[in-house]
Amino acid sequence: MNKYLLNGVYSLLALIVISAFAFKIFQPIQVLPRIRLSPAFDMLDQDWMRLTNEDVRGQMVLYTFTYTHCPSPCHDIDKTMQEIQSRLSEADLGETKMSFITISFDPQIDSPLVLRAHAESIDADTDQWKFVTSPNETLLKTIIGSGFHAYYEKNPDNSFTFDPSFVLVDGWGIIRGEYKYQTEVSTADRILRHISVLADEVQNSSGPQKVAYEAAHLFLCYAP
Amino acid sequence: MKTKILLSILVIILGLAAGYYFFRQPALHGTIIQSPEPSFDFTLTSVNGDVSLSDFRGRYVLIYFGYIFCPDICPATLANVGQALRSMSDSQAEDIQLLMISLDPERDTPEKLAEYVAHFHPSFIGITGSQEQLAAVTSLYGIFYEKHVGSAASGYLIDHTATLLVIDREGYLKLVFPFGVTSKDIADDLKYMLKQ
Repeated sequence: MNKYLLNGVYSLLALIVISAFAFKIFQPIQVLPRIRLSPAFDMLDQDWMRLTNEDVRGQMVLYTFTYTHCPSPCHDIDKTMQEIQSRLSEADLGETKMSFITISFDPQIDSPLVLRAHAESIDADTDQWKFVTSPNETLLKTIIGSGFHAYYEKNPDNSFTFDPSFVLVDGWGIIRGEYKYQTEVSTADRILRHISVLADEVQNSSGPQKVAYEAAHLFLCYAP
Repeated sequence: MKTKILLSILVIILGLAAGYYFFRQPALHGTIIQSPEPSFDFTLTSVNGDVSLSDFRGRYVLIYFGYIFCPDICPATLANVGQALRSMSDSQAEDIQLLMISLDPERDTPEKLAEYVAHFHPSFIGITGSQEQLAAVTSLYGIFYEKHVGSAASGYLIDHTATLLVIDREGYLKLVFPFGVTSKDIADDLKYMLKQ
């Protein structure tokens, strides 16, 4: 009987190891990493309406950071946001809400009025896509620089040197994806793929299925 | 033949047990964060002088943002953490430090904070700072807060995000508890992490 017991224990251990490897290799469920908390903010949008991080709690949000008088290459950032917004149906969001927020780091020029004009000039759908800023430049630097890890610096000619990027935040206020703008490959494709993965998790990770999703986090089954 | 059947049944039972073990509900009740970088370090003021998050490297730190006049959410959460610590062994509890960061520096002096937090657990530390310091700390920990002047007999209330944050021994944000987490869930998660 001892021999059988020993075989059973070995079988158990083998099953655990095989299950772990199988989960890791085949990745039946993929998730996005929970990177860190998204910063809190309290800003004004293009309609002079207050927008805080609590207003978008429960929604997935894609953030980007720019300034409106940026020369033409910057417009690719707006175009990427627009492309993602227009192709959102590809992501099967179900009941999950999605918002887009562009934060301007130049409040001296980008008043809500200017942000409104900019939104109109690119024909942005402002029901879903907000353009915001805050007059408190120190806090703005904390939020964008330290919170979202998006680098920017003002030049003597009032232009900005910055690293164009996008940040995907889930409904719990946790950063789930950070994307540097790329010209070689489509940033929009990657972000849309990740929005889809996140929406799947939001819709399916409650109840008994939560266990499988937590296992995916545990085994770092991250979507490419 | 009979032996093989018995062995097969045993393997199936063990397989099911392994499956249950592997896919069972994770021990943690809060949301796990796999941050690749340490949490923002801050220095605020307690009754005994400056307190930095990095002072507590080697111990788990719970961070809660609130204020003394907070009518319900703050005392409920602090009471739950206090109860969780009391349900643990002394050595486990000593490995955990709660920092309550007051969002109301106008009224919550370090002296008043020390007196307030001691009601919940003798180890708790109350800290606060200038509005500028608090704006930076709250923002980077995802805590929104806003004063409502004239909305209470006490003068004003402060709406605030009520999450309870857990920082690990190396200063990385590890867990986020939503408001309403029970003392048992807090204790279970902390005991689990202390074993890691």
